[in-house]
Amino acid sequence: MIRITTNHLSLQDVMRELEDNSAGALSIFMGNVRTRGSFGNVSEIYYEAYSEMAEEKMREIENEAQTKWGIKKLVAIHRIGNLKVGETSIIIGVSSEHRHEAFEACKYIINNVKTRVPIWKKEISEESQKWTDGILIG
Amino acid sequence: MGKLNLRSNVSDNDKIKVRLFAILREVVGEGEITITVPSGVTVSYLNNEILKKYPQLRSFSNKFVTSVNCKVTTGDTIITSSDEIALLPPVSGG
Repeated sequence: MIRITTNHLSLQDVMRELEDNSAGALSIFMGNVRTRGSFGNVSEIYYEAYSEMAEEKMREIENEAQTKWGIKKLVAIHRIGNLKVGETSIIIGVSSEHRHEAFEACKYIINNVKTRVPIWKKEISEESQKWTDGILIG
Repeated sequence: MGKLNLRSNVSDNDKIKVRLFAILREVVGEGEITITVPSGVTVSYLNNEILKKYPQLRSFSNKFVTSVNCKVTTGDTIITSSDEIALLPPVSGG
């Protein structure tokens, strides 16, 4: 399941989606808003997406991971809007028969989401609001 | 004859809607702009017209890519008014 959402992300919901008795391994990555950003202290982050393209690119990355590692199930959900420190911006979950595939696929997906998916973040503090530097999609 | 010319001129132009995101949206003050260009022009031509109409984007001219129907394209891609076009600054999700 691939999704861009404005809703709070639930790890329990993701775990339920990944349930599969043929999978012996389950790997989860969660990205949280931290206090220290690129420009100093952060109180919240505003995430913006070109949602239609973002979901299409995430499905493309999912297919690549599927081809490379033959994973069982995959969930990748990115939250957008204003998120406070400590809130979760992204959850990626992968289930596979053995741990190697789950670890590798999870790492591949988050690394590619960060460089290929049209999502942007603006760090907000009491003093300033700045869009963070990023990577041009190739 | 004059009427025919007028009709011909109208049909030879396309109104292209362009979506803007993040810092580009803020700099322009709108999430979608409309640019009128001759039919059959390329992404490069469109981008030049955008920079003429919105000079505040000139300092970002090498800091965005253009997508057509959710695919990042090269400058020589030909566009039509039915295409969904977007300008995408460097991404930073996750």
